[in-house]
Amino acid sequence: MQRPQQNRYKRRRIYVRRKVCRFCADKSLVADYKQPDLLKSFITERGKILPRRVTGTCAKHQRRLTNAIKKARIMALLPFTSGHAIE
Amino acid sequence: MKLRHYETMFLLHPELSSEDRESAVEKFSDIIKNDQGQIVNIDQWPLRKLAYRVQKQTQGYYVVIDFGAPGSAIEELTRNFRLDERVMKFMTTKLDDEFDPEEAAKKYSQKENKEAQAQTETSETEAEGKEE
Repeated sequence: MQRPQQNRYKRRRIYVRRKVCRFCADKSLVADYKQPDLLKSFITERGKILPRRVTGTCAKHQRRLTNAIKKARIMALLPFTSGHAIE
Repeated sequence: MKLRHYETMFLLHPELSSEDRESAVEKFSDIIKNDQGQIVNIDQWPLRKLAYRVQKQTQGYYVVIDFGAPGSAIEELTRNFRLDERVMKFMTTKLDDEFDPEEAAKKYSQKENKEAQAQTETSETEAEGKEE
């Protein structure tokens, strides 16, 4: 009875890698709307904000990150969508 | 009057000369100062490509001013940003409800120190590379 469970656990361990929040790992890193190059790594090619489950950002930093990205969009530092991109 | 800690960023038209830009920055910093505000730092970015077109322009000059001022100064500042045709976009953010000029200035002196350190480090590594 125990065997299939063990197998599943073992198999999961092989490919599930624990993601760590980048802002927690590096305390000097702050989600700031003035650093569009940093924020760029948290949006998709289309300009959408990546979910936490993809980037591994913790809840606290994801909140700050979304605010920073939205401010950067308003100031034309980041795109709202790739549709209005300048070629 | 109680000062709060603010940061304002505005985008200047790309076809302005450096004197025009300088005078625009001066105009807005004077508005802050006239309302008992204190400026901590002014950061003028080089010409930068925009993420999307603004007033049909693809580039622009960003300016970031870090300052402490009473709330009434922000009203006046915003009114002037709207009137000034050199400004394409602007945004003022409150950093803190309290303004401590020394505390605010620390951030910039630390940054300078860090940059200086980084520079010495790179020059050291360069020197090491030469020795090898």
